[in-house]
Amino acid sequence: MKTTTLLTLLLTTFSTALVSKAKPLSYVGGTMVMQENDETGHTISSDYTFTPTNAFGLYIKQEENGKDIFMLTPEFNTLLKRWNLPDGQGNIFNMTGAGLAHYRGNNQPCLWTAFLADYESRRWFFSYEPRFVWDGNIEKSVWQRARIGIAPYLANYNDLNTWIMFQVDHHPAKHDHFVATPLIRFFYKTYLFEVGYGSNQHIMVNWTIQF
Amino acid sequence: MKKYLLTIIVIFGLAAAVSADTIKATVNGMVCGFCATGIEKTFKTQTEVRAVNVDLENKLVTIQTKQGQTLDDSKIKKLLGNAGYSVVAVARQK
Repeated sequence: MKTTTLLTLLLTTFSTALVSKAKPLSYVGGTMVMQENDETGHTISSDYTFTPTNAFGLYIKQEENGKDIFMLTPEFNTLLKRWNLPDGQGNIFNMTGAGLAHYRGNNQPCLWTAFLADYESRRWFFSYEPRFVWDGNIEKSVWQRARIGIAPYLANYNDLNTWIMFQVDHHPAKHDHFVATPLIRFFYKTYLFEVGYGSNQHIMVNWTIQF
Repeated sequence: MKKYLLTIIVIFGLAAAVSADTIKATVNGMVCGFCATGIEKTFKTQTEVRAVNVDLENKLVTIQTKQGQTLDDSKIKKLLGNAGYSVVAVARQK
């Protein structure tokens, strides 16, 4: 298997790891379980927040579309900075993981790190995430994602929350350098669900449950 | 007359001592119901707490304690901090 192919798959995999998370941390003692279903396969991941600024998790993915790769990667999420404002919250997170990818009998090591900056009010949502993936000393890759969202109505805590969002991905290493995905997000209390359709003609379906 | 007055004072005093608190905390950064669930879950694990209510619109977390129990301000700030939020003010009523 070509290193670049594996790298691209890893990049795609890791780039979707946090898509559906409202935040990569919850509350102290809180656990989140997430699943992503997109053109690259099926992902399930879980993390546990053990301090106000740190969470530890596991990430499992089964690739599809002819690439039968199974991945298992621990990840460590850190809140670097938070701004709690009267009408909004801003955050900068770091997410880092290292693990193994299994493909055709071979185990491949991988390492990645990402930064997520977001701002959210009850009406608006903005996020930007650059992600860096290293595949040994063979190649480095960078990927970035930005999202903007608007809530069509202001929901309170016990209401169904709805967000209309627009996501742009920039994958310099992929054939589709830019992918635009309009999506709709719903959440109610501890349940989050979102579905979108990308310019690369793939359906994105993500969900998160917080315990 | 003095005895009756004293009895009334003692009764009211005891009633106040065993009554529950309603605590209203004004919180910054609380904009997302999904995230604010952590507040509800965090406070419900406290033995002193009978009920908790999150009001995103007014940025209020209302905590009702059990009879004769209370939560001090520092603990409230610590619990809300652990959930990811900043406390602006705490108001109490019996």
